[in-house]
Amino acid sequence: MSMRIIAKLDVKPPYVVKPVHFEGVRKVGLPAELAQKYYEQGADEIIYVDIVASLFQREILYSEIEKTASKIFIPLGIGGGVRSVDDFSKLFHSGADKVILNTYAVQNDSDLIREASEVFGSQSVVVNVEAKNWGNSWECFTDCGRVRSGKNVLEWVEEVESLGAGEIMIQSVDHDGRQRGFDVELISRVVDKVDIPVIAASGAGSLAHILEVSKLAQPDAIAISSLLHYDVKKIGEIKKFLRDNGIEVSE
Amino acid sequence: MSNVIGVVDYGVAGNIHSIKKALEKAGSKVIVVNEPSELLKIDKLILPGVGSFKDAMKEIDDNGLREALCKHIREKPTLGICLGMQVLAKVGYEFGQTQGMGLINAEVKPMLCSGTVPHMGFNNIEVVKKNPILDGIEDESFYFMHSYEVVNYTDVAALTTYCDHQFVSSIAKEHLYGVQFHPEKSRDAGIRLFKNFINL
Repeated sequence: MSMRIIAKLDVKPPYVVKPVHFEGVRKVGLPAELAQKYYEQGADEIIYVDIVASLFQREILYSEIEKTASKIFIPLGIGGGVRSVDDFSKLFHSGADKVILNTYAVQNDSDLIREASEVFGSQSVVVNVEAKNWGNSWECFTDCGRVRSGKNVLEWVEEVESLGAGEIMIQSVDHDGRQRGFDVELISRVVDKVDIPVIAASGAGSLAHILEVSKLAQPDAIAISSLLHYDVKKIGEIKKFLRDNGIEVSE
Repeated sequence: MSNVIGVVDYGVAGNIHSIKKALEKAGSKVIVVNEPSELLKIDKLILPGVGSFKDAMKEIDDNGLREALCKHIREKPTLGICLGMQVLAKVGYEFGQTQGMGLINAEVKPMLCSGTVPHMGFNNIEVVKKNPILDGIEDESFYFMHSYEVVNYTDVAALTTYCDHQFVSSIAKEHLYGVQFHPEKSRDAGIRLFKNFINL
């Protein structure tokens, strides 16, 4: 099975920004334009996360989602401030194919994962995990790496799988935005723990980093931001490099 | 050749927006169908793909659509996408046992294989019965996202293999078609499939 290459857009409306350690941000473009660019480059999927919706307790901007969805014919995953089955529904009607949950499920009600998977099917429920390393273990953070939850990452991923999540995106609070490579050990542990697809995120700074995590942790997908936003690499180049090194990816 | 396509709305679920947009790109007029009277305005029907078997059937029943849909599907070209193909089966086992529309002799069961489930991503199809929907795109890959599969032995149009597990990825029975993958998420190959459907 091909490993998927996903272009991830962190959005602080109206701009795609590049968070560094989930904190400082730099504007890198508009979501609709970047989504189309990465679609044309050969991305397997686009992920759009409104990184401030949850923190400011406001609704995601549906008009931005519609614009982003309008010209791409690959799956679009949307996250940011999702709190209810009704939010899921509004996102699907705005152009989402998958919905990404984090803060609300961790802090308020993990049962939303079960409810949503019963209504929309597991395949459209993605749980984003923001992991912070504390030596021998990882803790779940929320609100883009700002808030501690006390939950252990490896226990949490097992729980979300049992609640019906269809996919897990694993980000690292320590590695995000630094472009110094993935937290390979974290991703390997999560991949071993669950039987649902895992998307590895946070840390792609070079082709070597992507190859390393692909080989050592064998995630089902890799989410890439900075490397694409600054035109360091194009998706086609990444896929060719992986293919040349024995990793199966789609054309 | 007529071009008004109705897309069934399952209420809270369904990625109507994505399907509508891809159909429009393929050159069709699209109407969203959520009550029986709207079926009179359309030439062809699409049952879309996001949701769970149980909830989709409940929604169809709550809107009084089951009988009208079955009648329409027997008469006019219909394409079921993912869950939309699955609900054509006799029975589904997602969140308990639910009766489907019974238009194809099939059951919908959880995928059992060595790979991670849901099966997600682009994958190939192997056409076993030529049909107009798959014309010109037999060698393309399509986007899959599903945890359940249609088990059918009589109307198989294409098969797909995922981690050594082979399953039905397309069915064709007279003017009734189904695909387990998402044409609306499968780049140009998916648009071509919609064009093939529009041109039936």
